[in-house]
Amino acid sequence: MSNGNENIKKKSAFRKVLDAIGGDKLILLGAIILVFAVFTSLNKNFLTLQNMINLLVAASLVGMVAVGHTYLIIAGQNDLSPGSLAAFSGVMAALLLSWGIPFLPAILITLLSGVVVGLFNAWMVNKIKLESFIATLVTQAVVRGFAFIICDGKPVAISNPTFIAMGKARLIGIPVSVWLMLLSFVIFGFILAKTKFGRSVYAIGGSTEAARLAGLNPKKVVTLCFILIGVLTSLGGIVFAARMNAGQPSANVNLEFDAITAVILGGVSFTGGVGSMGGTVLGVILIQAFNTGLIMVNVPTFWQYVARGGLLLFALTSDYIRKEKRDKELLAASMKNAA
Amino acid sequence: MKSVLEFREISKYFPGVKALDHICFQAYGGEVLAFLGENGAGKSTLLKVLNGDYRPDGGKYLLDGEEKNFNTPHEAIEEGISVIYQERQILLELSVAENIFLGKMPCNKFGVINTRKANEEATQIIKDFGLPIKPTTKVKDLSIAYQQMVEIMKAYSRENLKVICFDEPTASLSDAEIDCLFDIIQKLKSQGKIIIYVSHRMSEIQRIADKVAIFKDGCYIDTFKTGEISEQELIKKMVGRDLGDIYTKLDRNKEIGDVLLEAKDISSDYVKENSFILHKGEVLGFSGLVGAGRTELIRAIIGADKKRTGEVYLDGKKIENRSPKEAMENGIVLVPEDRKLQGILSNLSVKGNINISLMDKNANKFGIISKKKEEQEADEGIASFRIKTPSADKKIIELSGGNQQKCIVARGIATNPKVLILDEPTKGIDVGAKSEFYNMICEFAKQGLGVILISSELPEVIGLSDRIIVMKSLKISGEVSREEATEDKLLSLGMMGEA
Repeated sequence: MSNGNENIKKKSAFRKVLDAIGGDKLILLGAIILVFAVFTSLNKNFLTLQNMINLLVAASLVGMVAVGHTYLIIAGQNDLSPGSLAAFSGVMAALLLSWGIPFLPAILITLLSGVVVGLFNAWMVNKIKLESFIATLVTQAVVRGFAFIICDGKPVAISNPTFIAMGKARLIGIPVSVWLMLLSFVIFGFILAKTKFGRSVYAIGGSTEAARLAGLNPKKVVTLCFILIGVLTSLGGIVFAARMNAGQPSANVNLEFDAITAVILGGVSFTGGVGSMGGTVLGVILIQAFNTGLIMVNVPTFWQYVARGGLLLFALTSDYIRKEKRDKELLAASMKNAA
Repeated sequence: MKSVLEFREISKYFPGVKALDHICFQAYGGEVLAFLGENGAGKSTLLKVLNGDYRPDGGKYLLDGEEKNFNTPHEAIEEGISVIYQERQILLELSVAENIFLGKMPCNKFGVINTRKANEEATQIIKDFGLPIKPTTKVKDLSIAYQQMVEIMKAYSRENLKVICFDEPTASLSDAEIDCLFDIIQKLKSQGKIIIYVSHRMSEIQRIADKVAIFKDGCYIDTFKTGEISEQELIKKMVGRDLGDIYTKLDRNKEIGDVLLEAKDISSDYVKENSFILHKGEVLGFSGLVGAGRTELIRAIIGADKKRTGEVYLDGKKIENRSPKEAMENGIVLVPEDRKLQGILSNLSVKGNINISLMDKNANKFGIISKKKEEQEADEGIASFRIKTPSADKKIIELSGGNQQKCIVARGIATNPKVLILDEPTKGIDVGAKSEFYNMICEFAKQGLGVILISSELPEVIGLSDRIIVMKSLKISGEVSREEATEDKLLSLGMMGEA
């Protein structure tokens, strides 16, 4: 026993950093390094500053959605509608601007649509007691449909100068979209780790009924999580449209696929109650490096789908292995306590 | 040759519990062996190990000298080991014959089922059992007792049946039905089967069992021939102590105060209209069979289930509890029945669990939780409830069951309640922790709390309560004072509705 305590005291600075990141995430860091090493060796342009910034820009939408998914999946829910909602939001913002509505109101109205979609998802889960995985499939279809309906199926070009500027503007060399992603990581990472709301998310993900009997309001927490992912997706979709100079109703297909893969890679458990924002950050970096790398080394598009499926399988398998490991450690610990 | 079932050093662990601890004994063909022990003594766990539901963490068992290792109950059934559970495990939409021959319906060489032959064979088995049912009847149209018979017939239809275990088979049977079941058990016994019979009912054990194996806290104690040992002695062996002692030593509250809580005509979708009162400093016991509506009545009061009718008064003032949260804010706290699913938050630490109901108190106006306040609350809870944990940051699920339960009580008490409701607080908890809980309950009452104690363990309710309310079929069927309370009285109120 005393030996163990001494070891803890003697921990090196390096060890402390590792602990802060979390032992579980070492594999993830290793995977990121591996992906970078492989793609850099195949295409030496991969590891350049410009490409890294491009990578972050490409990751920004996925990153913001993944922030929402981190909350939802820890709370034991899921959302398959972000791809549709991002496209809808891009089209909606572009349309509102084209009708001459000023920049700020246009954005706010679009974000409101994200809130409405979140409320609808929460309503299906809380009131009709649907599984979120299936319920949000409804939203995925319906919202995608409305993305086409409101613009009659044609992409809406953007001419509003403020809006275009938002797509192009940089602060210290970093584009607005990346700043938004980084801000979301920091703010919502803090809320998840340090506040009542964050703690409630973990609690209901552990056991909804136990949390309710302990005086929490699980339905309210679930509703807030759905609103959060709705707003973040909407905002991401708007910025995406600004970058593309157009709102495209067919854009962002499979967005949720990448976001969920990133979150699970980052150590959030599909069974709920476990995970952290730091893990999601790493997961987002890994999946975007993977996707960008596949394009840069000229893997054919169809094979990219297969590869992404493989990555999701890897993520789910590692989630399973982590869970097994947790259960085993738990059993060992309780055997010790019982003996 | 007589069949022999032998257990050698069987052990099984669950998070927080040592469910089976090196179990060693034998059971023989042509004998009825009863398992006797308190809740959580390990009887059901052992049956689950026997039929492949659980894998043992240590040890092995042999049937006729051959080591058996089953991965699923199905494999066990194939090898002639059947367990008849408390919950029926039959398919209600299928016929009696289809259930009996499930998975081995007679069929021709193309795999087409021969229903006529199945019905004929089923008729034979039903005749063997002497039951007035048809093989073509859908099982859902049968009474619970006959559904159970179908299950037994299903096991019986296996030609290689060697071991048949009954887990509390009479819990929902009438006297006549019990007679019928016992006739069948006698028949199986005369055929040389190994019969294991798990029950809490001492009279049944005396009547049907040849031997009694006693379990306590996951350990096998000993086997006795029925008739060679008195009931009192059996109970003493199974409890491992004189129960009376624990209760008489308790330092109970002598002063009971004014009315604290009044529940008036409370009903919900799950319980009929009921009224009762609770005084300050009183321990009010709730007795009755499982499913009598005790938990449901409490859930309606605290807003865990939607209340249909009725009013709740606390200190004479009408209160509304639309959710457990509101009940908690009003000063009523529940320690729920199912610790694993409704009590602990298994993904959180001891600290997180103790503090989960205190977030409003621990957070500043921006909702940011103070780490320091949480640590203080956790340390206080751990100290005052003597929770055994290496640190407050340990995952709660790593603790023993009793210590997990203490965390849940600490969580509730930290909210400064006026009424504390404990639903089966000592279920699955070892004896040492139990007496700690009993002292705790008396201490709460002394401090002026109103305590509601729901318990299926009669000695526990009798030993702790100042007054006992008995429920039957979703209604309060009677009230007994501490002086008049006997196990017989509570049982007859709970089962027949009259004393």
